[in-house]
Amino acid sequence: MAALAASIYRGISYKGAEGQWAWILHRASGLGIVLFLYMHIVSIFVAAIGPGPYEWVHKTLYTSPPAKVLEVFLLFGVLYHAFNGMRIIIIDFFPALGRYQRTIVRIELVLVVLVLVPAAIITLRGMF
Amino acid sequence: MATSSSRPVQGKIRYGAPNHESKIWLFMRLSGLVMFVTVVFHLLYMHMAVGVENITFDNIDERWSGPAGVFWRLFDASLLFIGMAHGMNGVRFSINDYVHNRILNFLLTALVYGLGLFLIFLGSLAIILGAGGLGRLFTSLTG
Repeated sequence: MAALAASIYRGISYKGAEGQWAWILHRASGLGIVLFLYMHIVSIFVAAIGPGPYEWVHKTLYTSPPAKVLEVFLLFGVLYHAFNGMRIIIIDFFPALGRYQRTIVRIELVLVVLVLVPAAIITLRGMF
Repeated sequence: MATSSSRPVQGKIRYGAPNHESKIWLFMRLSGLVMFVTVVFHLLYMHMAVGVENITFDNIDERWSGPAGVFWRLFDASLLFIGMAHGMNGVRFSINDYVHNRILNFLLTALVYGLGLFLIFLGSLAIILGAGGLGRLFTSLTG
C-alpha cells in the first residue's frame, strides 16, 4: 500500500501532461468498469431465477436518481476506455505517430465528448 | 553483462520467440479491438435504443428466446468471456504495479481470478438456462 501512496504522490508531482493523465484515466476507468461488471453479472444472473427477484434488483440498482448519475460516469468510463484503448493500439502498431501523441490524446478526448454529451442528455432526460 | 549476440543490431531490433507476457499484450489489443465494436454497441443499444427503464424480465426473455435468440446468447457470452478475461488481466496489471509483497500479491491475484471465474460461471448459467431458467429447473427438481 505504501507503493500505491508513493505512486499517487509521484503521479501528481511528475507533470507528465496528456500522456500521463491518459494513462491514469485508463487505469481508473478500467478498474471502475470491472467493479461495475461484478454487479452487472450478478444482476443478470438474478434474471435466471425469475421475474419478481429480477425486477426488484433492476429497479433498486439501476433506476434510482443516484444510479442515473452513476450511469453517466459509466458511459464516460466505457467510452473513454474504448477510445483511449484504440489510441494505444494505433500508437503501438504505428510508433512513428508517437511524435504527435499529445495531439492524438486531444483529438481522442474531443471524440469521447462528442459521443458522451448526447448519450448523457438521453440518460438524464427522464430526471427533469 | 550482455553479450554481443543479444545486443540489438544497429537500426533493427532483434525479437526472440514471443513469451507468455507478449502473448497477453497481443490478447489485450485484439480483445480491445473486438470490444470497441461489441461493448460500445451493447452500451449504446441497451442505454439509448432500449433504455435502462425498459430492460424488464420480459425484455431479456424476448431477446434470449426470440427468433434471434442464438445470436443474442452468443453475443452476450462474448461480452461476458472477453470482457472478464480483459478486465481480470487489467486488474492483475494493477496489482503487479502496486503490491510488491509476493504473498499479498499472490493472494490478491487469486482472489480476483477466483471471483472472476465464479462470476463467469454465474453469467454462463444465466445465458444457457435463459430468463427464469434456474427458477424452472428448481421447481421441476423439487416437484
